[in-house]
Amino acid sequence: MPELDLRMSDADWRRLRTHCAPAFRGLRDTELGAIGLIAKRQVNGTLRELVVTKMLWPEVGDVISHPYMALTFSSRYMRRAHLLMREEKLAGVITFHTHPFSDTEVDFSEYDDAEDPLLAANLVDLHPSTWLSSVVLGRQSQKGRVWLSPTGAAPLNNLISIGNHIDILPLDGNGDRPRPEIAEIFDRGRALTGTGALAKLAGSTVVVVGASGTGCLICELLARAGCRRILLIDYDIVKIANLNRILYATREDAEKRRYKAHVIKRGIEALGLGCEVVPIIGSVIDRAVLARLNEADVIFGCVDKDLPRMILCQYSYQHLVPYLDVGAEIGGDDEGIVSTDARTSYVAPSRWCLRCTGLVTARRLRFESLAETERQREIALGYSNDLLLKQPAVMDLNMRAASSGMMILRHLLQPFLLEPLPVTLAENLVTYNMKPVEVARAKDAACDICQANPHAGHADCGPPLGFDTEVANALIDRD
Amino acid sequence: MSIQKAEAEIARLAGSGMAIAMVHQGAQPYALVRNIASPVPPWGSAIHDILIAIPNAYDLGTALDAFYLALPYSFSGGTHNRVSGQAVTIEGRNWQLVSWHYPDGKTFRLGTDNIESHVVHCRGFFLERGAQNART
Repeated sequence: MPELDLRMSDADWRRLRTHCAPAFRGLRDTELGAIGLIAKRQVNGTLRELVVTKMLWPEVGDVISHPYMALTFSSRYMRRAHLLMREEKLAGVITFHTHPFSDTEVDFSEYDDAEDPLLAANLVDLHPSTWLSSVVLGRQSQKGRVWLSPTGAAPLNNLISIGNHIDILPLDGNGDRPRPEIAEIFDRGRALTGTGALAKLAGSTVVVVGASGTGCLICELLARAGCRRILLIDYDIVKIANLNRILYATREDAEKRRYKAHVIKRGIEALGLGCEVVPIIGSVIDRAVLARLNEADVIFGCVDKDLPRMILCQYSYQHLVPYLDVGAEIGGDDEGIVSTDARTSYVAPSRWCLRCTGLVTARRLRFESLAETERQREIALGYSNDLLLKQPAVMDLNMRAASSGMMILRHLLQPFLLEPLPVTLAENLVTYNMKPVEVARAKDAACDICQANPHAGHADCGPPLGFDTEVANALIDRD
Repeated sequence: MSIQKAEAEIARLAGSGMAIAMVHQGAQPYALVRNIASPVPPWGSAIHDILIAIPNAYDLGTALDAFYLALPYSFSGGTHNRVSGQAVTIEGRNWQLVSWHYPDGKTFRLGTDNIESHVVHCRGFFLERGAQNART
C-alpha cells in the first residue's frame, strides 16, 4: 500500500493540541483525547489520504481518564461518532489521545495495541465498511495508524494541516525529521524558503489550472522554487494572439495548434531543474478532469472565469486543499484606466470563498453556467454585453500577480508575512498601492460553500463535484 | 450538474400547487411555469406559460434573470416590445426570450431570492409594470 497521509484543518489541529495541552503540563499523569470523523481521498481508486471531516469535542463523561491509567472513550461517545459517520456516509472514525510522558518521541502502548483491533472489530460488526484510525500524541511528536480491516493496521505517513499555514508533520512517532540537503540550484532561495519548506514544496504536487499568461509564470516560479511535480490543466491551444504572454510558446506552436499545456511542459522540463509537468487537456468544470485534483497538495487557479473558480472553491473546502486564485484585472471608466490590479486570493478552511470576497458574482456565474446556445441568445438580446469584456492579458501585469501568488505560497510553507493573511492581496499599479483586503465584501455567514458547507472535509465521501463531460462541453467557452 | 437545489425548489413549489416542472434541452435545464395569470385586455389570453433558464451552477450561487414566453401571444392586439429575443423550440413548443430586468436597479439577491421569487418577478411582466414597459 502507498504511504497514507492524514489531512485536517489547522483550526481543528490547533484546537486539538490546545485541548490536549494540559496532559503535558500540570496533569502529566492523565491522558486526554477526542474523537473525529474521517473521509477518504483516492487517486485512481487507490487510497491516498484520510481527511478529518470534523472533530466531535468530548462532553462531560465522554472521556474516562484516571491518573496513571490508559484513557478510554465512553461507549456513548464512540456510538455518537459512529452514528454520525454513518449518517454522513463517511469512511470511519479517528481517535486522538495523549501519552503525557512522551515528548519528541511517542509510540502506541501495549494497551493501545490490544484495544484498537477490538474496537475496530466492534465498529465493523456494527457497520462493515468502518475504518478506525488512531493517533497518539506526544508533546512534540505524534504517531498514527489506520485499521482498514480489524486484522491489520497501516501506518500513517504525514499529518497535513491546512489553513493559515500548510504544515506537514510526521506521523511516525518522531518530532521533526532531519532536513534534506538543499540542491545547489536552490541555495539562493534558502533565506526565503528554508530547508524544511523546500522539502515540503519538493514533496508536493501542485495543480495549476490555466496555462495562459499567469499559469505559465506560476509553473516557471514553482519549478525555480524547487517544486518537482506540477499538474497543468488547460484545454486550449496556442494562438498567435497568445505569443505576447505565454512562456516558451513560439509561432510554430501556434501554427501547429499545439496545446498550451504541452508547450509549457516542454519549456519547464528543458530547464533541467527536476520538475515534471503533467499536462491534462481539459477543464476543471469537467468531473473527469476535476478528479485529477485528488493528487493536489496545493491548487493555483489562473483562470479568468467565475465558474471554474467556484468549482475550485467547492473542491478546496470539500477536500481541505489550499487554493490560491491569481489574476489581473483592469478597471476603467469613461476617463480612462483607474486601476490595474494584480491580485491573489487565498481560499482554505476557515477562510472566505471567492463568492464571499465579491470576486465571483452571482450574475457572471449564472451567465457562464448557461449552455452555450442559451448564452448566445442572451448575447444577441444585448443582455450581458458587460460580461463579455476580456480581462487584460499582458505579461508585465501577469508577472505581478504570479509573483505575489508564489510569495504567498512560500509564506504558507514557512511564514514570513504579517498575519493573518488578508482575504485578498491586491496591487493597484495606477496608484502604486499594495492593498491587503482584510474584509470579504460580500461575506455571508451562512455561505454554503465556505462557512456552512455541509460537505466540508467530506472529500470523496461527499457528492461528486463538477459536471458530466457532456454538460461541461456545453458550458466551455471556446473563444 | 449542480442543480439539486433547483430541483428541490421546483418539487416543493409543485407540491404546493404551482404548475411548475423542470425540463431539459440538451445540457440546459429550464423551469417550465404554466398558467401565469394576465389581464385581458391588454393581453390576448388570460394565462401564459413561461420558461426560465436554470444555470447549471445554480447550487453554487447563481442569479436568475430573464424568461421565455410561449408563442403565440398578443398584447394590445400586437406584440410587446420587450418580447424581442430569439424564437426557439423547446419541449415541442415555440418560445421567445423576454428582456425583463429587475426594477429600479435591483438585482437577484443571493440567499434571499430563489425560483419562486423569480417567478413573482416574471409575473410582473404581465401586470402593470409590464404594461408600463410596453410604452417605454
